[in-house]
Parts: sequence; structure tokens; C-alpha cells
Amino acid sequence: MRIGLLTEGGYPYVSGEARLWCDRLVRGLGQHAFDIYALSRSEQQEDEGWVQLPPQVSRVRTAPLWTAEDDGAAHGRRARRRFAEHYGDLARAVCAGDSAGSATAGGIPGDTSEEVADRFGSALYGLAELAREEGGLVGALRSETAVRALERACRAPGALRAARGARVPDLLSVASQVERTLRPLSLDWYEDDGLGSVDLCHATSGGPAALPGLLARHFSGVPLLVTEYGVQLRAHYLGAHEDPEGRTTPAPARALLAAFHGRLAAETYRQAAVVTPGNTHARRWQERCGADRAKIRTVYPGMEASRFAHVGEGAEHADPDTLVWVGRIEPAKDLVSLLHAFAEVRAEEPKARLRIVGAPADGPEGETYLAHCRALAARLFPDETEGVHAVGDNPVSFEAIGGPEVSTLPEAYTAGAVVVLSSVVEGFPISLIEAMFCGRPTVSTDVGAVVEVIGGTGLVVPPRDPRALAEACVALLRDPERRARLGAAARARALELFTVEQNITAFHSIYLDIVSRCPVQRVVVDDAGEPLPFAVPAEAHVPGRWAESGRWAESGRWAESGTRLGAGRPPGWAAGPPVRGVPLDPDPYDMPAASDPGVAAVAAGAAGAGAGAGALGESDVSGVSGVEDAMASAASDVSDARVPAGEGAR
Amino acid sequence: MNARRGADVERPSAPGGAGESEAAGPAGAAGAVGAVEEPGGRGEFEGRAEPGEVGEHREAAEPAGPAEVVGPSELAGPSELAGPGEAVGPAGSAEASGPADRDGCGERGERGEFENLEDIQSLEDAQSLEDAQNFDDIGNSDAEVGETRVVDVRPGETRVVDVRLGESRVEDAPLAGAPAAVPGPRDAHAAERETRAWEQDVLAGARNAVPGSSHLLSGIEDATPAGSGSSARRGGADPVKALMERHRELCERAVDPLEIAAGLEAHGVTDRTATRFRHRDVFSLAEEMYARVPRAAETEPRTETPGSSGTRADWALLALLPGALCAAVVAGLRLTEGRPRLAVTVVGVFAVSLGLRAALRRGPLHATRAWYPTAATRAWTYWLVAYALLGEGLLVTGIDGGPEGLPTGGSGSPWPIALAPVLALALACAPAAWFAQLFAVRARHRLAASRGLEEFASSVRPLLLGAVGLFLCALAGLLALCAAVLDEPAPYAATCALGALLLLARLLTVHGYTHAPAIALAVAGTAETAALVSVFAGRVPGFSAPAVPVRTLTDAWGPGALPALVCGAAALLLLAHAARTLTRASAHATHGDTP
Repeated sequence: MRIGLLTEGGYPYVSGEARLWCDRLVRGLGQHAFDIYALSRSEQQEDEGWVQLPPQVSRVRTAPLWTAEDDGAAHGRRARRRFAEHYGDLARAVCAGDSAGSATAGGIPGDTSEEVADRFGSALYGLAELAREEGGLVGALRSETAVRALERACRAPGALRAARGARVPDLLSVASQVERTLRPLSLDWYEDDGLGSVDLCHATSGGPAALPGLLARHFSGVPLLVTEYGVQLRAHYLGAHEDPEGRTTPAPARALLAAFHGRLAAETYRQAAVVTPGNTHARRWQERCGADRAKIRTVYPGMEASRFAHVGEGAEHADPDTLVWVGRIEPAKDLVSLLHAFAEVRAEEPKARLRIVGAPADGPEGETYLAHCRALAARLFPDETEGVHAVGDNPVSFEAIGGPEVSTLPEAYTAGAVVVLSSVVEGFPISLIEAMFCGRPTVSTDVGAVVEVIGGTGLVVPPRDPRALAEACVALLRDPERRARLGAAARARALELFTVEQNITAFHSIYLDIVSRCPVQRVVVDDAGEPLPFAVPAEAHVPGRWAESGRWAESGRWAESGTRLGAGRPPGWAAGPPVRGVPLDPDPYDMPAASDPGVAAVAAGAAGAGAGAGALGESDVSGVSGVEDAMASAASDVSDARVPAGEGAR
Repeated sequence: MNARRGADVERPSAPGGAGESEAAGPAGAAGAVGAVEEPGGRGEFEGRAEPGEVGEHREAAEPAGPAEVVGPSELAGPSELAGPGEAVGPAGSAEASGPADRDGCGERGERGEFENLEDIQSLEDAQSLEDAQNFDDIGNSDAEVGETRVVDVRPGETRVVDVRLGESRVEDAPLAGAPAAVPGPRDAHAAERETRAWEQDVLAGARNAVPGSSHLLSGIEDATPAGSGSSARRGGADPVKALMERHRELCERAVDPLEIAAGLEAHGVTDRTATRFRHRDVFSLAEEMYARVPRAAETEPRTETPGSSGTRADWALLALLPGALCAAVVAGLRLTEGRPRLAVTVVGVFAVSLGLRAALRRGPLHATRAWYPTAATRAWTYWLVAYALLGEGLLVTGIDGGPEGLPTGGSGSPWPIALAPVLALALACAPAAWFAQLFAVRARHRLAASRGLEEFASSVRPLLLGAVGLFLCALAGLLALCAAVLDEPAPYAATCALGALLLLARLLTVHGYTHAPAIALAVAGTAETAALVSVFAGRVPGFSAPAVPVRTLTDAWGPGALPALVCGAAALLLLAHAARTLTRASAHATHGDTP
């Protein structure tokens, strides 16, 4: 099938965010055709060019988000009136506070906020239709009409409390930011030969990237899949204090923009067929912003496990007294508390060593922090010599990948007995996953998605608590058996949950699931432009048929019973499992179940592993029981909160 | 000791995996309240514990200081108990004692003898609030992930926290009900009673599921009464307040709860931490903080002035360039004769136009690329200036039947040239830029200070008129000067009208209104062309009618009347337009990335 991949500042640009993931996805699903619709974020990004595209990418259309030509489209009187109407609705929906007076932007939808969401949606689509019929909206979105509409909405009774004090500059900056966000409205992507021709839109992030998907859904009924590894709204909150020029944005403007982005996110989640957060943290935010739980399926990001494959579970290279920290050196990693913790570890275990492997983060901050950490390490641990003639050696070493000691990443992980993570802020901790791939037990702080990643296969301590960190490290250093157990469990968990194959398989089945549930219904026209009756057989809309039809044909079961459709051959796009993916369960009866909206076969791999990992955790909690036992109990353990109901069928 | 520990922590790893894991949650949560904190703390342990379980509990709590599960199990919805005004609730007390396990197990070992109430009290008091916040909670009640963390304390080692994913189903349901059950601030005891009842439920369920771990559960039995001791309201009874203190800037800046939630998460506060503040998750914690943050009635109007572009003042000097070049060219024309004069003329026109371009490339009269005037508009502008230079002479000689040749610029020229107006206009580029800058800066100040669009419009209108008026005065002065120096007549009306037209056209263009200036300039240029053409067309025998209006006009008010009328009318129209459009806030918006 034809997938419209919507990106913003990402794939296929060389410097794009999440381009690796997109690249793997596109390459991994070679049986689908991909149309890439990319919004670029800066001129520099455009200049840097694209990555090498695989042949399954049939077209790439790009548009700049960083600039917009006011094409000076002088709208007629009617168009202007329509614009004022729709923009006024939009502004009112944005400014509408909820009844309680507290301003939850797109908070939990109640009865009134449902109406507001409707109003926002229809205003948005109204503007989109206007842009489609009358040409670009750039000028109009910045015009006095827009600013006036915003002012009126802010002054209206029942408006957001924080927005009531909005001054003229606030209104102007809001109008310009809204214009910036709504630039995709003015694009010419939504014609029948553009996004109208794809079977599925896959937005690789929320926010502006999802906007073309929303419009394609509105204009052509193309189902939308939204993947968010970091929630855009949250990023907006974190980055909202300053505008692009570095000035502080005043509170009313921030309130309005937050409300706008909140509503946009809510609308995106509302219209999306499936929303796939990358972790539970993102999922919580999405639910908070109004995403329907039934639509949410967590798909963990995949990582290349083959790099670490040769490591296995063996601990032969490991120095039993060494702790390893791997990552990018920056203040958020809180190496200071790691060093303090290590001081306590040394007090307990004099032979212990700490290797800090990684490069400083870009910019002067990273360098400063590294220097600070080195100084602290030198102060805490003076060089010590074993004998008179030995060279002084510090128990803490700072190394970089490719240096004399550690040449590759897997080596860095395998060099130690325990991998430590001391971050105070962390998204999806990649170094932890890599350590898990290497079968190393981990001690990490409880931040971000750490707990979710680690499951029960490592020790987790509170952040900013060197003592707890030290205690946990000592506990592991003293217990080789436990280390081995945890390491093995970690590796099993990582290989089950965080591989590229898992990720691709999950998306493959989500694609099939979406297309079988809500296919695009197109009117087929003949050469003269007249609709062709019966061009699409009614059976084409029978859910479940598309999924794995190729395999059904082979098995012959459905052909015999006459249910198979008259189309001579199965559609090419539905043939076979993902190119690089793990083969799906060969039982054909699995798939009809998958098409049931309530049942998610999607995260089959992930879910199963979730259950397994939960049980692995069990084994560690219980202290002595082996991994095998835990595995045995995993079969019956279906209590994982994230396991979709369909998993029970397995 | 090790054997004991095994008995404590280990659960049977027998087939009943599912049931076991279900139970594990509550067990964790239960212990959370229990073992660590209060039991003995209030010296009520012995009395309240249920007979059947005392023994077990004793066992569990004996010197070895065995397995403990730490963390407050969510007792009640926090915001319900501690509303904006009143922070101290039963929640507070339990909270305060939450982190009591920080100190190693040495002390904990003495917990077998719980008689010593003082001991425990002091131990708990020792915990600073900082600890309370740093310490991460266990027994998280998040329905989503539902981890339970078991703290594993051995004499030698210490606290180690293991996290499990996906269990603790049992505790979810009652928890969800809890907030509903405790609506609003009310009698603390009543709330606690309910909470207790809920805990008992949990315990019952848990106990059924895992008989083997009942000693953990007994912990909570004991703990609960202690936790409900309403007497204890020790220091740090309002942890949320302390948290708000710590994140004061975040709270004051936040425009909605989600912003606080995002900020808290960026500071490492997780749902586990939130349970320490008796909140289900970070979002509800953030909501409480948002509700409680004191807000000044309205933030003071920001007096911050928009970044003044004073750093680059080169445009102010550059604006003098056309005038200087023009003056040089005029001097050259005066000093040369014949062919060199022709060369000076050609080079001079070229140089002045380049100078003008350079002057307009920077500063307040700079138009961004998207609003750059079209070639036609630029041509009309040059045509209008050329008319000021040559048009009058051509018109006069045309009416009289001339001209006999091309102008030479000298006194005996067949076609007089008016250098003074053009020189004055060129020199006026500088005041034009300065006054435009004045207008822009003042307008931006007004913009920052005004509360509404109407207010802004009414305050900017006088500014615009003032700027144009000042420019006209300056132009008139320059014209008088030039006329005196060059010893030429000074056509004030025509020059001022043209100057006003050009200035307004440029101002409008610079602010993005390109349409009206283009039309005004084109119309004015066409009218002047038509007047000239009509004069020459009137020479055709028997076809004198077209020249009549122009002749009449010239006879009545002199040759300067025509451009004065034409440009004056156009300038007035543009002024009316500018009074409407340049007083809009959107005209003064700074567009960072685009025109």
C-alpha cells in the first residue's frame, strides 16, 4: 500500500530528527510504497541535503516551515469574510477557558470541552478549505483581521484567565506563531494526486507534521497514524519561555499559544486512527491531552541489536570491580552525584573502579561540565599507586569511544560489571538499552522512561541520591550471581522489546490494521471524469480481508469457501511479512481478531515481551528464584497493564 | 539472617505466577506504609495490631531489619485533602513520616523494641524535607505502569530498589475510587477512616492471594493506625508548599498546570515522586501547585522596550549619501560645459540612483524582499522625479511652441532645468529616514504599552501625521536653501507634494502595503505624462482641444500647479490610506523569520 510519511524537520534531511528510525522503517517495510512529505525546519537543514533514499520511496515533496512567502493573494470580499469567521471561531476555541476557571489546555474532555474541540476542528478545516480554494493564507493569518479576532476572543467573557491581560504585542506574537504553525494549510499537498492518493498517513511526530495528515483525512478520508517519541506539546511547554529571537514570551502569549497547541494536539489525537507513543511517559501526556486510550498503542523505539550480538551474555571481558557509565557528558546526566556515589562505593569496596565513557555534549556547556567533573574526580580520588614503581592511577577514568582503552561501544559496556546511569533528566535511555543488549546489569536513577525500559532487570534508585546509588552499586558488585541473573534477564528483555525488528513489525501490523479497519473510500472515475459505478467491489471494504491475504491464498482455506474475492491476485502491498521483521504468527486465525478495534494484535511482540519482562522482574524481586522459573510464570502472567487484551489469545 | 531474609522477601515461585504477581503489588504498597515508618513511631503498634499477625510482624521487624517496602501507598486524593488554602491534612502527616527509612538499617535494627517512642521520633525528625523529596517513592499507584518496588535491606548492604513492571492490579481499582470517596476538605478523621477501610480491602485481597507474604502485609496493619494518629503533625507537614518554594519561578511563570507538570518532569519529578506528595501523578500534583500559587492581581505592564536597533546607526549616515552625491553632481554641472557636462550628467544620474539604493537598503526605509517594489513602481518613481527636473520646463516651452533642442543645463538652454527641487529631494532622504525611524520607534513603544488595538491606532495616528509634517517642513527648508544657493525659483507646492507622495509610498511599502503606493505612483505619473502629451497633441492643427485644460491651469497658477495638484492629490489619498493601515498593530509586528 501507499504510505504518506509526514515529517517535520526530520527524514529525509541529513540533519533531521529521528531520521534513523524513519530510515529503518522505510527500508524495513519494502513491500509498501512510501511518499514522503517533509517540512523543513531551517534553510541550513535544506542546504545539507537528504539521506540516501531506498527505492520504495516513490516521491518526496518538501515544503519549508521556516519561511513563508506572502503570495499577496488578495482575497475577495467573500473570502475575507469567510476567513474572519473561521479564524474567529478558531480564536474563540483557543481562548475558551474551561468552566472550572483553571486553564487546562485541551485537558480531559468533558461535555463542554468536547464542543470546544469540535469548534476548533471545524474552524481549522474551514481555514484549510479556504486556503485550498482561494490560495495561500499567509498574509491573512497575519493580517489585522486575525489580530482583531484574537483580541475579541481574549476579551470575551469566559476566556482563559491568563489570556485576558493580553496586550497588543502578545496578540501579534500569537498571531505570528499561529500562522507559522498553520503554514501547512497553504500547501498544495492535498489534491488527489498528492496526499489524497495515499492509503495511510503516518505522521512521525505531533504538531505541524500531523497537520497535513489531519487535512488529508478531512479532504480525502485518509486514515492517520501519529507516532510520537516525544510529545510535542510538552516540548512546547519546555521551550515556550523564549521566542526564536531569545526574548522572554509574556505570560498571556504563552497561555494562548499553549492553548492553541493543546487544542491542535487534542484534535490530532481525536482524528488519528491510531496513536503510537514511544513510551509510557509519552503515553501519559497523550492521554492527558485527550487521546482515547483505545487508540493508543505503545511502540518502543527499536535499536540495532546486531552491534552487540557478539557480546552475548558472557562476562569474560568484564572486570568484576568496574562500574561503567556511558553517555554524552552534560549536566542533565548528573555525573557529580555519580562521583559522590562512587566515593561511597570506594569506602565499601576499595578495589572498585569507575569508567566514564563518552564525549562532552556539543557547545561550551558540555566542555565546562566535563572539566568540572574531572576536577571533582581528581579531588575525590587522588591518584594512587600500588607500589613504589607503579604509575599513579586514578580509580575514575574519563575515556572516549575510539580511545586507546575503548575502541567500540560494545567494548565500553562489556568492560564493566555494572552499568550505571545517574541522570536527573532522561527521555528514553539509550545507553541503558545498549547495556541491556550487552547483558550487563544496570543501576539507574528513576527518571523518564528508565523504569519502563529496565523493567525488573536492574536496580533503580531515586535521582540525586548518591547514597542510594552507591548502595545499589555495592550490592551488585558483591553479588556476582545476582549480576549474572540480572544481566541475562536484561538482555532477554531488550532483545524482546527494543529491537528494530520489533519496531518494524509493530508498525507493519498497525498499518495493516488501520487499512483494514478504515480504508480510504475513493470514487473511481473513468476517462471522462464520470464516476464508475461498481468499480470498487463492495467486498473491498470488508474488514480483515486485506490483512495477510497473500498468505490466505496460499493456504487455500478461504479460496475454497468462496470468500476470497474475485480480484485475480492479492494486492502486492499486502504480500508477506516485513522484510526484516520477525515473521508473524503463521496462524491465519490471528488476523481476523486483529481487525477488531478493541483488540490490539499490534504490539504483539512488545506485549508478549512486556509480560515476560514483568515476570523477569518478579524473579529478581523474589531474590533467589531463577530466570527459568520466571519464564515459566511469564506464560500465565498477563497482568501487565500495557498488554492489550488480544494478547490473551496467544 | 539470610534465611530470615529469604523468608521475608521471597515469594513462592510456584506455578501460581499470575496470582502471585497480582498480589505482589499490594504487598509492596502495603509495606510501603508499613514497615518503615510509623509502626512504633506512635507507640501504638502493640495495641492495634491484630492478634494473629503480631507475631509475624514482630518477626519481620526484628533486628535484622529485613525486607521493607517503602513509600506511602496513596491514601487519598491529595488535592482533596489539601486545597489551596489549607495544606495540612492527614495527608501531611503521613507524608512527613514517609521518608523515614533513609538511614541505614543500623537504627532500623532496633525497631524490634518499639517502646522507645522518642527514639523513633527523633529518627524521623532527622529527615529533612529535602530527603523527603529526593527520596523516590515506591509502591507507586500509577494504574498505568503499576510498578512496585521492593526495598531489600540487608544489614550489610542497604536499600536496593527493584522495580517491576505491570502488576499491582489490585490496588488500582480502589485507588481510582479513593479521590471520589474523599471529596473536598473535610474532617480528617473521617477521611482517614475511609482510607483505612480501603487499605483493609486491599490487604484482604492481597492476603488471600499470597498467604506467604502476609508478614509484609501485617506491616501495614500496624502502620495504618499509627499513620492515622492525628496528633503528629511534624515539621514539613506541607511538602507541596516546600516543592513550590523550590520551583517558585516555574510556578509563578506557569500559565497552566501542564506547564508546571512539564517543568517538574524536567527536574526529575516522576509519578513515583508525586506519590510522595500524595498525588496520583505529576499532573495532579502540578494542578495543585498551579491552584495554590499566589498570583499577583495582574502582572505589571512590561516597561521593557523593544530591542532598540541603535547598534547599527550606519543607515543614518548612509541616508545622507544621495544628497551628497546629488550636490556634487549639481556642482559638476555648474562647473563644466559641453561634452564633459554630458558625461557628468550621465555619471551623476547613475551615481545618485546608486546612492539612493544604498540608502534604502538599510534602516527604517528598507523594504524586505517580499515587499520590494516592482520594477513598474520604481520606474514611475523615477519618472516623477524626472518630471520635477525637466517637466516644468518642457511644459512651458511646449506651450510656447518649443523646444528647439535637448536641454543643456546652462543658462542658454532651450529647455530650462529645475535643479533645486531635485537636489532638495535628494537631500531630504536623510530627514525622511530619520523621521521614519522616529515613527517606527515611537510606534513600537506605543505597541508595547497599549492594551488594545483601538488604543494603539488612536495613539499612532498623531505620530504618523507628525512624522509626515516634520518631513515636509524639513523638505521646505532644504528647498529654500537649495533655491537660494542655486539661484533658482523654489516651487514649494509641487516639491512638497512630490516629497510627501514618495515618503508615504515608501512607508507603506516598508510596512507591507505595496498595492496602494504602486497605484498612486502610477496614477500620478500617468497624469503628468498625459498633461505633457496633451500639450504636444494640441499642436496638431484643428485639434487644440486636448491642450486646453493644461493651458488654462498653467495660465492661471503657473507651470508648477500641475505636478502640485497631481502629486498632492495622490499624496492625500495615500495619507488617508496610511492613517488607516499604518495604525494597525499588524503593520508593526516584527516578523522574525519572514517579511
